[in-house]
Parts: sequence; C-alpha cells; structure tokens
Amino acid sequence: MAYVSVPLYKRTIPQRYGLVGLRCKKCGWINFPPKGVCKNCKESLDFEKVKLSGKGTIYSYTVISAAAAPPEFSKQEKYGGTYVVALVDLDEGPRIVAQLTDCKPGEVKIGMRVKAVLRRIYEDEGVIRYGFKFKPQEEDLNG
Amino acid sequence: MESKVAVVGAGQSKYGESVDKSVKELFLDAYIELINSVDNGLEPREINAVYIGSLGSGGFQLGNLSALMAEYVGLPGVHAVRIENACSSSGFAFIEACLAIMSGMYDVVIAGGVEKMRDVSSLKAKYWLGVSGDTEYERLAGMTFAGLYAIMANRHMHDYGTTREQLSMVAVKNHKNAFLNPKAQFQNKITLEKAMNSPMVAYPLNLFDCCPTTDGASAVLLCKAEIAKKFTDSPVYVAGFGTGTDYLALHDRETITSLKAAVLAAREAYKKAGIKPKDVDVAEVHDCFTIAEIIAYEDLGFCERGEGGKFIEEGLSSMEGEIPVNLSGGLKAKGHPIGATGTGQVYEIFNQLRKTVQKPARQVKDAEIGLTHNVGGSGGTAAVTVFKV
Repeated sequence: MAYVSVPLYKRTIPQRYGLVGLRCKKCGWINFPPKGVCKNCKESLDFEKVKLSGKGTIYSYTVISAAAAPPEFSKQEKYGGTYVVALVDLDEGPRIVAQLTDCKPGEVKIGMRVKAVLRRIYEDEGVIRYGFKFKPQEEDLNG
Repeated sequence: MESKVAVVGAGQSKYGESVDKSVKELFLDAYIELINSVDNGLEPREINAVYIGSLGSGGFQLGNLSALMAEYVGLPGVHAVRIENACSSSGFAFIEACLAIMSGMYDVVIAGGVEKMRDVSSLKAKYWLGVSGDTEYERLAGMTFAGLYAIMANRHMHDYGTTREQLSMVAVKNHKNAFLNPKAQFQNKITLEKAMNSPMVAYPLNLFDCCPTTDGASAVLLCKAEIAKKFTDSPVYVAGFGTGTDYLALHDRETITSLKAAVLAAREAYKKAGIKPKDVDVAEVHDCFTIAEIIAYEDLGFCERGEGGKFIEEGLSSMEGEIPVNLSGGLKAKGHPIGATGTGQVYEIFNQLRKTVQKPARQVKDAEIGLTHNVGGSGGTAAVTVFKV
C-alpha cells in the first residue's frame, strides 16, 4: 500500500525538518529530494549536504476536495475541509510538492511567493509525522 | 519495420461492478471470447505462454497471479508471468508477448490483464489507487491521483489557455461513444452542462473529469506473423511499438504539461512502424482523467503542443473527426480496470480494424492504422503500439 512506515519516515527526517539537499560535487546541481546518482550529470555519487532557504514560487497547485483525501488525511479534512497541495520552485532550483498553510484556497495563485514552515502532517501508528508546508511570504500579504 | 507479430484473437469481459464474478471468472469471460474470436479455431495446447498485467486487484492474490489465471482457464503448465507497471501493466504485457515471439522462443502467446477494484471498500480502494505515484513526498503531502492530474491541468490551463469546458468536452465525447459499447461501464450520454457542474474532486478536475473504479479483464492472442493466416484470413499486424519511463514524482520532471514517457514511447513506435502521427486512423488513449486525453493528443503528435484543448473543441477526435479517439468510451466511460486496460485497448483496435465491433454505429470507416496509448500511474511508464491491417 501507499504507506509511509515509521522507519521510512525516520530516514527522511533531514529533508522533512531541515530541507537538507545534496549538492553534486561534480556539476554543482542541488538534488532535493536526494537521488542515488546526480539527477543532472547522471554520473556522480559524490555529494555535499546543503540546507535550502525554503523560499520559493508556486508553479502549480490543486485543491483537494472534502472526502477526496487519502485516508491518513481524513482527520485534517474533517476539521479543515479542503486543502491545497502545490508544486513549489525553490529559489535554489529544486521543485518540491507540499501542502499550503495559513491561507485560503481562493487566495492561491500560480507565481505566488511562499516560504516553508514546519508543521504537523498527520499521526499514524502513534507517531506524529512532522514536515514542511508552505505559507505565503509576508511581502505578498502586504503587497 | 516488417511486421513479425500478428494479433489473431481478442476478448474482453464486461467492464463495471461485477459483484457476482471473481477476477478468475472475469478472466475466463475474456478468454472464452478470445478463443471464439479465432476464425479458424485454436487448440488451447497451441498456446506457449501467458503474460498477465495486474496492479494487485486490491490485494487479492498478490503472488503467482498469472499461474492462477492460466490454470483456471485450463492452461496449467504454461509459461506464465505477471507484469506490473501500474495502469500500463497489460500494455507492457502485450509488448513482452511481442518480444517473446520476436525472440523466436514462442509462436503463440496470450497477453491479458485483470483487475478487481470494487470488492474492496472505497477506503481501501483509495489506498490502492495511490500506490503508483511517489509515496515518500507526493503521498505525504496529501496528494491524490486526481490531484496529480489536476495539478498538471492547472498548469496546462495557465500556459496554453486550456479551459474547464474543453476538459468536460472529453467526458461528453467518451460517454457518447460508450453509449454504443455494450461492454462499457457507463452506457449513458451526458450533457456538457451536467459534466461541468458535477462536484469538484481536485480543482480544476470534477467528478466527470475522472475515470471510475472498475472490475474487468481482457486478453488478446498474438502469434508469429508467418503463421497468422492459419488462424484467420484477417489478422491485425503489430507495425511497431515503443515504451518510455520517467521520474515517478511530478516535482522531479522536466515538465508536467506533457508526459515524457509517452512522448518517448510514441516516437519509438512511429519510427518502428514507419508512419507519421497523422497517418493514424483510429486511437485508444489513456484518458484516466480528461486532461490526460488532451495531453495525449499533444504527446502523440495529433496536434501541436498546447493545442489539445482546441483539438477536442473542434471535434477532431470525435467519431466523425480527423482521428477518432476512444470510440470504446475510453477509461472515462468504458471503465478502467487498471491491469486490464492496456489489452482492453488492443481489443477495441483489433475489432475496429477488422470491422467487427459489436454495434455497427461505433464502427469507424476505412481504418487501416490503429494506435494504443497506455500510461502507468501519473506518467512513470507508458507503452504505445501501432497496428495495421
């Protein structure tokens, strides 16, 4: 099943809590999430860790309707209704998928500036899964 | 490419909710029709191998499924293998069958597919339908399958001006076609208004933009081209095929408004068949969501990049159009029994090219070249095959 076990989740904590990517020492490409072999040069396995800023721009998004969420998200949906999942282009290059938070679905636009924040994702098997979501950057709210 | 493989028989169960039939019995339905469709008859002992596409049928018999299907229809002992490439499982099973024949190892082979999605609760079905995308990131972001295609659709609309109305037009066309298909899950026409006003599932896709969950099975008989006439006077030849793969997660891909796996597969299939996209007379494409059919027009070269919305709007993929697409009703209305879909598409093209579809009103006129386009997951895998008579 499409099931994220506790060990599988635990192995990815550096990415989930700290947005840690792998910079290829050969071509400089930042791989996030990590790949076995560099995604760009497809040759090197030699990486150094790099912490990403979490700032980025919405490339595309969808609004998951009530009752259409995966079962592990049904509690969130029960309390919050619909939620937004977006593809975000991080300023350092990588594109990543995550939920949006602290904004209404109707306010979301392609091209909107966002910033990663640590949030509770869901609880399963008695273990809370934390991870990043994105919220609108302040300047956008003011402007 | 000189055709080395021919299709000489095909069968398909009724698609839909089959409360009374197990996955074995659905496969038997397809197998019996396949045997009866061989004009000059087939002795079951002539069958050398069976390739079965399946995602997992909701967890029923995950192991040794192909041997189970073979023994149930009276073929114990045969070489049997299950192929799993998500929704393109039997599209790939078909190609593995071609390769087995082309290698010289086997002369007569069955490629088929089975899936039973409606025995499990909708909660369990949601678990199962989410298994073919990226689990670690997409799933942990609360992404759904409709959500993945929705996020593609949203960007396609942003970049090319594709409209929600054009998406709904795909659903209207495919329901209209399925109305004439006795084996389709939904044999009802719908209006554009009804399609556009159905409940939202994942913006911008609503309920009528999504294919249903379906029980079903399909199977086709392939043989070495040299011996095809032994079985029938009107074989359908495999002119060329191609496959492609891509990153599973959308965030890893070069683009989300095109499925690169399908582009690679189509390019290879056209090259091997020695044809151009406009030479295709009839096509069955993977419309798991309406946006997927619009992207398929572009990926297959039926129109320019970004023009897929206009292609449906101008009626170019309708029964009377330039390239009729999904005359069976497609995944949207014929139904999408995941593992069975690929060879189910071959079943339709086989009958269209031989002029043997069940209702003459659905029969395309003067078609010589047919194409199937079968995509796995959100585009992690794709198989394209070109057929000719």
